Amino acid sequence: MSNDFAQFQDAFFDEVAEHLAIVEEGLLALEQHPEDRDLLNKIFRSAHSIKGGAGMFGFTAVSQFTHKMETLLDLLRNGQKAVTPVVADLLLKSTDCLKTLIDSTKSGAAVDDDVVQQLTTELASESAGGASAGSAGEKENKPAQTAAAGSHGETRYAIKWTPPDWLFQRGLDPLQIMKELKALGALTDVTMDLSRLPDLAGIDPERCYLSWSMTLSTAKDVKAIEHVFEFVREDSKLSIEAQTVAGSESHVASQYPQYETQHQQPETLDAGPKPLGAILVESGMVTPAALDQALAQQKKVGEILVEQKVVTPQQVEQALQKQRQQESATHAKKSDTASIRVDTAKIDKLINLVGELVITQSMLSDLGMRFEMGQLHVLLERMAELERNTREIQERVMSIRMLPIGTAFSRFPRLVRDLSAKAGKKIQLVLSGEETELDKTVIESIGDPLTHLVRNSADHGLEGPDERLDNNKPEVGTIRLNAFHAGGNICITVEDDGRGLNRDKIVAKAIKQGLVGENDKLTDAQIWPLIFKPGFSTAEKITDVSGRGVGMDVVKRNIEALGGTVTIKTEQGKGTTFTLNLPLTLAIIEGMTVRIGQETYIVPLLSILESVQPKDGVVKTVVGKGELINVRGTYLPVIRLYEVFALTPEHTVPTKAILLILETEGERVAVMVDEILGQQQVVIKSMEQNFRKVEGIAGATILGDGTVGFILDVRGLLEIARRDTAVAA
Amino acid sequence: MGKTALVVDDSRTMRQMVAFTLTNAGFTVIEAEDGKDAVKKVAGGGKLDIVVTDLNMPEMDGITLIKELRKLASFKFTPILMLTTESAMEKKQEGKAAGATGWIVKPFNPEILLKTIAKVLPV
Repeated sequence: MSNDFAQFQDAFFDEVAEHLAIVEEGLLALEQHPEDRDLLNKIFRSAHSIKGGAGMFGFTAVSQFTHKMETLLDLLRNGQKAVTPVVADLLLKSTDCLKTLIDSTKSGAAVDDDVVQQLTTELASESAGGASAGSAGEKENKPAQTAAAGSHGETRYAIKWTPPDWLFQRGLDPLQIMKELKALGALTDVTMDLSRLPDLAGIDPERCYLSWSMTLSTAKDVKAIEHVFEFVREDSKLSIEAQTVAGSESHVASQYPQYETQHQQPETLDAGPKPLGAILVESGMVTPAALDQALAQQKKVGEILVEQKVVTPQQVEQALQKQRQQESATHAKKSDTASIRVDTAKIDKLINLVGELVITQSMLSDLGMRFEMGQLHVLLERMAELERNTREIQERVMSIRMLPIGTAFSRFPRLVRDLSAKAGKKIQLVLSGEETELDKTVIESIGDPLTHLVRNSADHGLEGPDERLDNNKPEVGTIRLNAFHAGGNICITVEDDGRGLNRDKIVAKAIKQGLVGENDKLTDAQIWPLIFKPGFSTAEKITDVSGRGVGMDVVKRNIEALGGTVTIKTEQGKGTTFTLNLPLTLAIIEGMTVRIGQETYIVPLLSILESVQPKDGVVKTVVGKGELINVRGTYLPVIRLYEVFALTPEHTVPTKAILLILETEGERVAVMVDEILGQQQVVIKSMEQNFRKVEGIAGATILGDGTVGFILDVRGLLEIARRDTAVAA
Repeated sequence: MGKTALVVDDSRTMRQMVAFTLTNAGFTVIEAEDGKDAVKKVAGGGKLDIVVTDLNMPEMDGITLIKELRKLASFKFTPILMLTTESAMEKKQEGKAAGATGWIVKPFNPEILLKTIAKVLPV
């Protein structure tokens, strides 16, 4: 059944994403090199593959739309039509539309039919406007024929077949055809005609000089017989004469009837048993019309319950809303499931390593069986081996999740093209370090923040061409995106050679918003981060692109959610560089282990600013603000962790304990613990997946001694601090 | 003895679907991602019972591949089926002239694929 192919749908969507990227990149490159035939061929092939695949899965909307694009692309690659900006633009728009169509196919969401319709029309008219566009006409799938005529028993057909002489050279075998015919019915009187056979000397053994005549009695119709000759019919002399059993009437089958391959639409997955109505209709007990009428009278459960006064209409509406939410949630979930394509070499290496691990393990258990103290050095050696294996496997497994960042960069050429057109600026985009690898989840999450930064550079950072020329700068502005490894982290920079951040404007705006005092002496390092404050925008006019003051704060929040940081370097008139520092992976973090009473907790190292042992009088209780600590003149809220987690601590007096100053999203808090134990890498295990969400805890991990340690959620702790003081107030 | 098939298609999904269907039908399947790859994979010799190839491919297209294969002694009479979306006659004619045994029109289902292959497989 065609259902067999359903399991390939995910693979197909993955492949489509690759093809779409090729099409988009290709179209963008085409604007620079409109004459590049290879490029056009590449784009065409990708579109063609999308169409073919979509057809296989019965995604008609996708295949039909792609067909329209393909028709136009075909004209372009054959040189029948020139690549004009209008055409390129139309194709780019169509690519976007195709993306939406595919997403909607994937998730089941609705599509804006008007857009699809309009683009379809535009594509068609653009194709028609070209040279001899008519050749690429549509082929409609004729419904497959049904074997209806067979009811009055078998028919006898007299078949005469003279195959083309190159029959063998195409790998065709007359015997195979006889076999197929025999499968249709009784094949009799098969006579071979040798009359065309030349003299022995003149025989080319690779040519076919034979012809046949035969009689076939079958219940199948002429079409079925013709189908047997499908691949040779056009080149053969073939006559099929039907002789009714009475023997008087006969007709000659047409010479070239069109045969269309039957295509069955893939059935929906998990179809389940048919509804009762469908079965009744099928068995002929009920007409479809009668069924529809009966169904129309059928009431919905909600309506019945309301009538019986079991529930109120409002309650039904609420329940329906909930249902819709769940539906859309499952849709969203569906599009979230993703797969990774991994180089087989990586997997082979991994399997090798697992093999080594198994060997080391068996050597160890062997040693354990008959261990004597004298063999201690052997044990230590084996343990070292085990450690090496484990570390290597860890690294290899992590590398499976690693993808080149180029996939996140690939959207920018298009973005910059559109932005420069919109803003009337000339912008070139330079990408580098695309091959730098980082965790798939991180790549997926940095797309939006990067987009904000690039938009920001294009809109605020870079000047218009006139202003640039006035300032002795090249007319074309440059935005550079670069990625590189730095230690255990990855750095991504977004750099522009525009006007730089304007110190005075930012300060003025900050004073206006009450973020800084009028007489504060501020260093540059204190001023630039102000642009990450919510609602902060110094743009004089709000443009289509940016300047609404949303964006930069989101960028910072998103990056920090990934455990990363954003820094700014800027010089007036020279340009601005945003540097994103991100961890390579989200699954493992650097943590500081701390002790509270008998329990061990882990604090993410990135969020720790410093640790202090407060002197007498530094920690004070302020009415309405709870406990505060004075750190060099700034008062920070103090959280006693043992209170939050209901533990018995060793110290309850701040001067005896240790206070960790933690920071997240620009806010700081002091957290009281008994002791700092050390620093280690920890693997995060999700709390939600294994238990449930716990406030103040980001996850759990297994510690060296096998016990479970909790990882603190600094953000959550801040919330707790804020709420407690509110309650206290 | 199981039979061996060569499946050539630049579209990964399409190739996998054909290979999957054939493997389930008891074939040993060799996959190639374009004509050039296919030529490379058959260069080592070995017996092949059938070739299923796409037409539109980078590097070397299906028509050229068929011509190349027919030049090899071991592929002189091997059935070669083309996978084509174009029910257009020109492509079929071109393929036939190059030596293709037959064709399968996309979209197809596993049943049609196997039936068509059975039709041309040497007896």
